[in-house]
Amino acid sequence: MIGIAILIGCLFGAILGMNAPMISYTYSSYLAIAVIAALDSVFGGITSVIRKNFDLKIFITGFFGNAILSILLTILGQKLNVDIYLAAIVVFVGRMFTNLAIIRRYYVDKWSERLKEKNKSQTEEIQK
Amino acid sequence: MKNKKMISIVLGAMCFALTLGICVQIKTVKGSNSIAGESNRENNELRAEVLKYKEKYDNQYKELEKAEKQLEKERQNSTQNNSDLEKKEEAITQGNKIIGMTEVTGPGVIVTLSDSKRDASTALNASDLIVHDLDVLSVINELKNAGAEAISINDQRIVPTTSISCGGNIININGEKVGAPFVIKAIGLPEQLAALSRQGGYLEILKEASVGVELKKSNNITIPKYTGVINYKYAQNVK
Repeated sequence: MIGIAILIGCLFGAILGMNAPMISYTYSSYLAIAVIAALDSVFGGITSVIRKNFDLKIFITGFFGNAILSILLTILGQKLNVDIYLAAIVVFVGRMFTNLAIIRRYYVDKWSERLKEKNKSQTEEIQK
Repeated sequence: MKNKKMISIVLGAMCFALTLGICVQIKTVKGSNSIAGESNRENNELRAEVLKYKEKYDNQYKELEKAEKQLEKERQNSTQNNSDLEKKEEAITQGNKIIGMTEVTGPGVIVTLSDSKRDASTALNASDLIVHDLDVLSVINELKNAGAEAISINDQRIVPTTSISCGGNIININGEKVGAPFVIKAIGLPEQLAALSRQGGYLEILKEASVGVELKKSNNITIPKYTGVINYKYAQNVK
């Protein structure tokens, strides 16, 4: 059910996005940073599911809060003539890599365990 | 169960927002010239607007052309059986030909003026190496002197209201920007027009300045009609 919902959401988003009018180039930097923030939240969500401490409220607030905060920071940076969005990108992308490492380790561990079990059962069969 | 439904709806909405953002962003980046920096964005927007207007103009012009063709056909149909009207119709076509509102074809010459291929740093005066508006104007004048009946520069027809002026690295002809090389087509007696390359003529002067000059006789030259509108506001007929 969750998978179907995600698939439908992605599909509709892609279709609507392809047909949406082009936004002004001025705002594209804000949208880019918001997209990066949202992607970071998604990876964080997957990590928390693996750690079994997933909370929907935290996930939602993180998703939108991060995006809005990064946009506000970008606007502030433009007003102050400092590229604050670079800091936001460094933080988000760094976190994405850490989360990805956790996810990767979890699945690799699972896979190697399964292989081990299979080997064990095969050797048991041979011994019998 | 209810919790799971809620989660799936929220996740679906989030994925929707995320993919929407990504797609719009990709489209925007692809649509705008990514090499041109942000400082150029206003420039880009203006350019896009100009292109849009140009397209609109082209479409309108095509429609106008279609309407004109229809008008001509209607005129021909209605004047077919009336000799008086037929004479007037002929006069209109003749007049249109003279003021450059119709496409014309015939023998003549093609003069090509192109910027010098010499390295500008070796020249005493780099300005001598390029074709100027006055050069084009002088060549046109000589062509008219030699009896040219219809002249065009890079498909811009020369009509009574045509002006040729400098516009930086391009030349404005009929209010349109025209760049080198300039292909000047003229219809007239080819032998007479070819006298432009005589000793002491303007083409000879240009050649000495190492500007690329080429004069070619041709028996079949087609010159397009004037694409603008001639609108006389102040000149009144004398009664």
